[in-house]
Amino acid sequence: MSFFLMLLAGFFLPLFPLSMVFNALLGRIKNPIAQVLLIFIWPQIGVFLLAWAGLPLDSGFFVGWAVLTAVFYAWRLLTVRVLSQWAGMLATSAWALTWIIAADLPASSELHSFALWMSVAPALLIFIAIALQERFGAAYSGLVVGLARALPRLSSVIVIVVLAAMALPIFPSFFAMLVLLAHSSILFALPILLTWLLWSWAGTRLLNGFVFGPRAETDAADLSSTTTWGFVGLIAAIVVINLIWTGA
Amino acid sequence: MNLQWLIPLLPLLSALLVQLFAARLGKRVAHLSVALGTLTVIVAAYQLVAYIGTDASPSWHSLGTMWGSLYVDPLSSIMSLVVAGISLIVHVYSIRYMTEEPGYPRFFLLLDLMTASILLMVAAGDLVTLLIAWHMIGIMLYFLLGQNTESWPSQRYAFWTFITYRLGDLPLVLAAVLLYQTYGAIDFPTLFSRIAADPNATIMGVPTAITAAFLVALSAFAKSAQFPLHTWLPYTMEGPTPVSALMHAGIVNAGGFIINRFAPVFVHSDGVLHMLFVVGLITALVGSVLMLTQNDIKKSLGYSTMGQMGFMVMECGLGAFSLAVFHLIAHGLFKGTMFLGSGSMIHEARKHDGVPHNPLHTFLVERKSASLKLPWLFIGLATLVVPLFILVIAHWFVAPDFFEKQGAIVLLFFGWITGVQVLFATHHLDANNPIRMMMMILLSFTLIVVGYTVIGHAFENFLYPEEAFRNALYHAAGIDKLTFDGLVFLLALIVVAGWFSSYLASREKSVFGDRFGAVRLTLYSLISREFYVADLYDRMAHWLLDASKRFNVWMRWY
Repeated sequence: MSFFLMLLAGFFLPLFPLSMVFNALLGRIKNPIAQVLLIFIWPQIGVFLLAWAGLPLDSGFFVGWAVLTAVFYAWRLLTVRVLSQWAGMLATSAWALTWIIAADLPASSELHSFALWMSVAPALLIFIAIALQERFGAAYSGLVVGLARALPRLSSVIVIVVLAAMALPIFPSFFAMLVLLAHSSILFALPILLTWLLWSWAGTRLLNGFVFGPRAETDAADLSSTTTWGFVGLIAAIVVINLIWTGA
Repeated sequence: MNLQWLIPLLPLLSALLVQLFAARLGKRVAHLSVALGTLTVIVAAYQLVAYIGTDASPSWHSLGTMWGSLYVDPLSSIMSLVVAGISLIVHVYSIRYMTEEPGYPRFFLLLDLMTASILLMVAAGDLVTLLIAWHMIGIMLYFLLGQNTESWPSQRYAFWTFITYRLGDLPLVLAAVLLYQTYGAIDFPTLFSRIAADPNATIMGVPTAITAAFLVALSAFAKSAQFPLHTWLPYTMEGPTPVSALMHAGIVNAGGFIINRFAPVFVHSDGVLHMLFVVGLITALVGSVLMLTQNDIKKSLGYSTMGQMGFMVMECGLGAFSLAVFHLIAHGLFKGTMFLGSGSMIHEARKHDGVPHNPLHTFLVERKSASLKLPWLFIGLATLVVPLFILVIAHWFVAPDFFEKQGAIVLLFFGWITGVQVLFATHHLDANNPIRMMMMILLSFTLIVVGYTVIGHAFENFLYPEEAFRNALYHAAGIDKLTFDGLVFLLALIVVAGWFSSYLASREKSVFGDRFGAVRLTLYSLISREFYVADLYDRMAHWLLDASKRFNVWMRWY
């Protein structure tokens, strides 16, 4: 029973190749609100299933599988150019790490919060994708480079969200990674750090594909001041809530 | 709230004000940034004077939360003043230097955030605060180096720096996790006292202190451009000159700082100290060799910094932790000045190179030796004996028992060799009065060595007031006598051989003929391609990217 529950959880806290289901589903859904909802709800289902299977997990096999999935998707992220796909693969890589905490903790509350904080950056990326699609017809890295000079407000927001995606301070995912490492053994710490490094590499490639480069020749309008401050305010609120949550 | 909090908070406030008032004030926001930078220097200076004046002991100041604290000790006090001072100079310099560049307010915003990050790092009182500051430095440097958002080379080299810094961030994270898992504390006073109480604690059968020291060292290697993680440093010259100055004067020294911060961990990790020495030595050699072969002044300065960082790490490996801090401060001020002056020099050189075509030019630029002016044997003896005599006297003056410490002997040895090389090289120079010139060189050498030794000794007493701890560091860095004597003998042989070959090379006709021509050519190719290290990384990166792309296509991007 517990094995099948864990196998089922492998669809929601994605384990490759079961992870392809989530990525295919995210690709099929066209409504951005539905995409964001999917990103927030999907891993929580996985956590419920793991809790049902019994925590802490006693299956080294599943944890090892999850770690490999995280590294694998982080590596694949390097060459993904469609922003919504990028968000999906980042989420896949990040959620897979939940299994490591599950192997160490008897309660599911920390797993729920880990999955939640790891979902923030992919969800924000979906919003960025919408903004880019409205202006250029596609959110494709390398399609229009050099937005920093042409659309500075949108570029600033892209930079902030990509930094969050790389799990850098002081975004929620940074603290989530610290919690994860505190619950992992040295054996798993190394692939976790490798995954983290690959996210950083992939993130800078994304910035090069949108923000940097010779000034884009475009008539597209920049984000309005209100929208920019609204977005930055939303991110700031998430950061503050997370800081309170983590005990700062 | 302690006044120390103001030191990182003032630049942070400055960054916020720059962002808020950039549209209204235009380029005048830079003055706002400079004003707050000046205030930061004043507060940092006051804190240092207050610390020394009141004969205070280290103190820990928390916000009352799980993390978020400052540790006020001699190291953080002195580093805060140095960082704030260098940052202020860079701010003032940038007001005019950056005025024609796009993104002028953004530059000052980033400069302020960078300053705040470094100031937070040097005074961090717990592992999480330190990690945040440590990460933030890499992020800010990435954007500062990529200030010109339209330049692909700027972005390329900013990325090199960023990814190397990320490589350096992660071992520190792991070290912090191991220390927390073993000792159950994140604040430095508690953590260090628990390490002192139980230095041999293990986790999963692995000795924690040694492993953590190893990881901290790896982190320091990336931040301080140690071989083979050095490739980013010489290429960061694509960034604005003020950023180069700040980086070479302050940021790159982070490695030396972090090793000093974790001195209570390193004192129980003798093997790691030896590794520091070896890596520092290789870096110093590679950096110096590559510096000599560059024809771009800024790149040459970059490799010079790499060599200096090698020396700094090597000093840590010898147990001379305070000397490394003294070195990083002295080098920071010296190199920062050079960078800030390099633009003017290039500008002047475009109009007139200003170099007289005399024997000095022939020696330094054309790399040809001038004729000898004094008997070679006399100079050989003088250059061997005089620096050694000066060093012995200087160290006897500050601490007669200094020679009992291996680290000190190695430092003396390096000082001696450097002195010999300087004297021997300058001996080739032409002068109207060669004896007077030699005397002047000896006098300046004496002043430098004595000054350095006395100040270094005083500085050591300030940074590490506990004599037992200082001795423990030297003891941990020590090696057994036979190995030590063997190494000294080997090094002496290498230096003498190099010295002899230099003499032979200075002769018009080589005694070896063209026998080693092919070897020299191969060596030159290797050096001119910077030992292919960057090419190797580039090839590996391309391979990984190609494989990733193929796999994604095969998996239909799911």
